[in-house]
Amino acid sequence: MTGALSPTTVLLVVGAFLFAALPHLAAMPPWLALVIVLAAIWRATVEVLGLRRPNWLIRGFLTFGGLALVIAHYGTFWGRRAATVLLCVMIAAKLSEMFRLRDARVVAALGYFLIATQFLFSQQLVLFAYLVVGCALVTAALMRIQRDADSAPTPVTDSPPAAAGAASVVRDGFLLMLLAVPFALVLFTLFPRLASPLWGMPENALDGRTGLSDEMSPGNIASLFADDSPAFRVSFDGPPPPRSERYWRGPVLWRFDGRTWRRLFYSNRAPERTPRPGPGAFSYTVQLEPSERRWLFSLDYPVRAPEDARLTADFELISKTPVTTLMSYDVISQPDFQDSVDLLQTMRRFALLLPEGSNPRTRAHAEELRRRYPADDRALIDAVLAWFNREDFFYSLETAPLGRHGADEFLFDLRVGYCEYYASAFVVLMRAAGIPARIVTGYQGGFWQAADEYLLVRQSDAHAWAEVWLEGQGWTRVDPTAAVSPSRIRDGARSALSGSQGWLSGEWLYQLRNQYDRLQNLWNRWVLGFDARRQQNFLASLGLDTLPPGVKAALLVALAGLVLVPLALLLQASTNARRRRDRLDRAWHRLCGRLRRAGVRPLIGETALETARRSAERIDNGHELITLAGEYSMLKYGPFRSETAVSAFGRKTAGWRPIARNPSSFNQS
Amino acid sequence: MSDAIGRAEEIRSGSRRRLGEAIAAVNRVILGKSEQIDLAFSALLAGGHLLIEDLPGVGKTTLAHAIAIVTGGRWQRIQFTNDLLPADILGVSVWRRNDETFEFRPGPIFANVVLADEINRATPRTQSALLEAMAEQQVSLDGHTHPLPPPFFVIATQNPLDLVGTYPLPDSQLDRFLLRISLGYPAPEQERALLVEPDRKTLLAGLDRAMSPDDLLALAESADALHVSEPVLDYIQMLVQATRTHAALRAGLSPRASLAMLKAARAHALLQDREFVLPDDVKRIFAPLAAHRLQCHPNSGEPEHVVEEILGETPVP
Repeated sequence: MTGALSPTTVLLVVGAFLFAALPHLAAMPPWLALVIVLAAIWRATVEVLGLRRPNWLIRGFLTFGGLALVIAHYGTFWGRRAATVLLCVMIAAKLSEMFRLRDARVVAALGYFLIATQFLFSQQLVLFAYLVVGCALVTAALMRIQRDADSAPTPVTDSPPAAAGAASVVRDGFLLMLLAVPFALVLFTLFPRLASPLWGMPENALDGRTGLSDEMSPGNIASLFADDSPAFRVSFDGPPPPRSERYWRGPVLWRFDGRTWRRLFYSNRAPERTPRPGPGAFSYTVQLEPSERRWLFSLDYPVRAPEDARLTADFELISKTPVTTLMSYDVISQPDFQDSVDLLQTMRRFALLLPEGSNPRTRAHAEELRRRYPADDRALIDAVLAWFNREDFFYSLETAPLGRHGADEFLFDLRVGYCEYYASAFVVLMRAAGIPARIVTGYQGGFWQAADEYLLVRQSDAHAWAEVWLEGQGWTRVDPTAAVSPSRIRDGARSALSGSQGWLSGEWLYQLRNQYDRLQNLWNRWVLGFDARRQQNFLASLGLDTLPPGVKAALLVALAGLVLVPLALLLQASTNARRRRDRLDRAWHRLCGRLRRAGVRPLIGETALETARRSAERIDNGHELITLAGEYSMLKYGPFRSETAVSAFGRKTAGWRPIARNPSSFNQS
Repeated sequence: MSDAIGRAEEIRSGSRRRLGEAIAAVNRVILGKSEQIDLAFSALLAGGHLLIEDLPGVGKTTLAHAIAIVTGGRWQRIQFTNDLLPADILGVSVWRRNDETFEFRPGPIFANVVLADEINRATPRTQSALLEAMAEQQVSLDGHTHPLPPPFFVIATQNPLDLVGTYPLPDSQLDRFLLRISLGYPAPEQERALLVEPDRKTLLAGLDRAMSPDDLLALAESADALHVSEPVLDYIQMLVQATRTHAALRAGLSPRASLAMLKAARAHALLQDREFVLPDDVKRIFAPLAAHRLQCHPNSGEPEHVVEEILGETPVP
């Protein structure tokens, strides 16, 4: 016999679902999220106000309408986003037919799955904490469902649901989560990890995530300035380089069509010469946040590529696969290195190429500069930087869009822009003056977390600078932005742009974010960064690495058992302490077990006689059961218990089996 | 010696037989409510008082009246109104000029069974006069203490919906009632019988006393001697504890309530002709005993439901 789904349970299940779905809801189109939320609220309202249950027409409409909406927006059910949205929609539809315990259990189980799917999108600490709460809520809902199942069906009452009952079950949910912690820890550290994930992450899976792209057109980087999310974190083996030297090299761009800068195919060659680590080299570990792209970032002149990545002729680091999960790599960088002492003729041509007939004023200015400094490239560059510094050039995000002659407009009319504009105009000017030049994009600066000794580089630290090729020096970094706004390089884009944003970027919030990032860094290092390699190292430190896999698995089982068995025993002891010890109770519980198998479940708050009377209606030899229950009660609660009577009772129950009234009454509860 | 025991046994079995007749007689007047009648007699045997809370016309007064008649003691009915004074219940001392002394004229409370009809209509002052007498089993007036005749049993009725012109009993005083029951509407066949059979008044008039106050006292004494096993005591403690930790409740049951629970469970077991208390007895009396002593936090349900919830979730040891 099963109890009915109580209103409190329904509210708890709906609440747990909404809580678990919230991160998904935030990521899907608002109208779709609204449909889901409304469906859930409607289901709750039906329960609270006792409205009529939705009929099959409404349920079918909800289900197929939801399917159609998902198809209409995503065009497919495949892919992470579309599939999880579909999952949300279908659970919301399932709510509309959740009127039995079985359905509620399905929804709760799907709630766990829904929570697990969030990790396909992000593995941030906050999200994890949020989802732990979600798990506790789903667990509480599941417990509440079970309580409904175990309690006898009570007459329908139209009183408000006991909300306090929900509070205590939620507390129990959290307690259960707490109990699971040791088990989770053992599994986390010892469960064999795969070096590569079981399934591949599709490219462009992180929707809405901006990151540094491999081309640059006006506005590209500006979109990153508002994004305070971390790009990567670096911990140095020695002291970190000074702020003005923290240029994190990313894609190097050569080709210019008047508007967009792109990479050059030839850049993909291996470098002819790589630096030799010596004094002054920096050795560091980068923890790169998922970016969906292959770019790895390093200080100038990485000595060699990290594992699973390669080094290009422009000293870019490119990962073999897109970075879809937190990636950690070690780099050694040698700043004292001459990149391309000789410039190949082909490359020289690319480094001087400008679109035909563009930017006439810039060309004219370049020719004039060339006339002034006929042979001295260095002096010419200094003159340009001095010009930037002297004239009223401003560093600001508030710029006007540029037309066909972008460099002309910028250098002579607008004079307001940020790194992209300066780097782009500067390289055009250099090329017009006959100096090979290219653009380097990446990040500049970063926030030094002194307490935990790591450098936090945010998306808003994105930067673009120039490199010019000088005879005898090779490619040399020139940062025109530094000439215009030294504070951009000294203190970061934030301070250079201060005052241009609202209270949200206020100082306190910035401090808070820095503090939070320290936690996130630990999380990354110890939890997300605990990959197959780290696990090996950890096992090695315990001296377990050389064990054959079978032994390791056995060890895992043994350790898990070491945690679980005492836990199970403790639970057993606390619930069944007396029952286990007593012969009389054992006999009765054996009998209850048989009843359960015959489809009659003894309920928690039932006395033996109540169980017997209730069961008697469903089995053919119910009167015998009532007699047995009477004997049991007499022996247990009466004043005349004797061991011979207990033995006799044991013999009687041992032979007793419930006779089901008809086959269909099996397994009904 | 053994002869004395045998005689006591004989008296008790006689009392028990007469009690059975009394219950049967009440059941003939109030149809289809044997469970409530059992509870009413449990309260009587446990030496507690009974509160019947229900809508008008479902037979509260008839039940109280029938019990009063069959138990055979002196009985009094007090109709509570808002101008009822304590003296109207307890009695007054009057000056006798002849003897030049005060003479105590006992009020209607000096009876074995007192039927306090619509108790919530009287002012708190009058209510507490009654409730004090219920607690103390005596009346103190003008420096004199007048003990009430044992057995002393109050059956009070009140209408829960009537709010105009009533003074709801304070929670501390509800505690004076051992059990609170409600009768509810009759089942269709009982209602038909009600319509067909002679008037209840006629039936009541035809009722005879089935037992004596001494029978009641003897039975109450033997109820106190019933065996209560450890698991049943555990069960009582678990239930009381559950009311103390339940989130919806403002406060749990007092130790006085757990004592009362034991007494009522024993009385209930006696009514079932059992020599020991079963958890079933405790379960049966738990709701009538606990619900009126508990209060819920605002918006967290009704005590009646919380009590059912506790019963459903407390495993029976």
